Amino acid sequence: MTHASVFRGSHKCTTMRSNSRPCGQTTPLASRCYSHAKVETDEEFDARWVTYFSKPDIDAWELKKGMNTLIGYDLVPEPKILDSALRACRRLNDLASAIRILEAVKDKSGPHKDIYPYLIQELQPTLIELGISTPEDLGMDKL
Amino acid sequence: MSLAKPAMRGLLGKRLRFHLPIAFALSLVAAAAFKYGVTEPRKQAYADFYKQYDTTKEFNNMREAGVFESVRPTGK
Repeated sequence: MTHASVFRGSHKCTTMRSNSRPCGQTTPLASRCYSHAKVETDEEFDARWVTYFSKPDIDAWELKKGMNTLIGYDLVPEPKILDSALRACRRLNDLASAIRILEAVKDKSGPHKDIYPYLIQELQPTLIELGISTPEDLGMDKL
Repeated sequence: MSLAKPAMRGLLGKRLRFHLPIAFALSLVAAAAFKYGVTEPRKQAYADFYKQYDTTKEFNNMREAGVFESVRPTGK
């Protein structure tokens, strides 16, 4: 996955880096040409974000900041990250944000219409447990 | 039937890697097409016009037509 700052002037750097990778996988986050920093793997990235949202006393600001940062990346968050975020919403009694998170990941998928149904399928147990309605249930997906 | 996990990372990067070179190439083609389709013919047309241009003859035609203030038409 290419970092969000692909738009902040380092575009050619990160894409060149991804093109030169022989294994054909996309460049993980925080990779720059000539940088010796250890590149974070997808699993480490996911684990970091699951931990972020799992903080028992997370506050509303941290939830919003976390989600905004996460949405800024060139990826659709994994179900386990979203599960952790939805549980954080539950701890904060914030149903509105929970539903908004679902809308956000649908939007993040862009033209790839197969991502959102997959996410809902994976999150179904969590949605039922926490009593979260999807935007489709509420008719909020239509204009 | 449960859905398979789709690709979820690097989707924009993939799209840009595909579309940006095409975009740059098409822009260059558009610029080249405009240069050789419009500006070069235009420049050539001007060059051809002025190659055979008789400045004195045209000046006198304009003078007789009365468009100048600095010189009056010859005669009355």
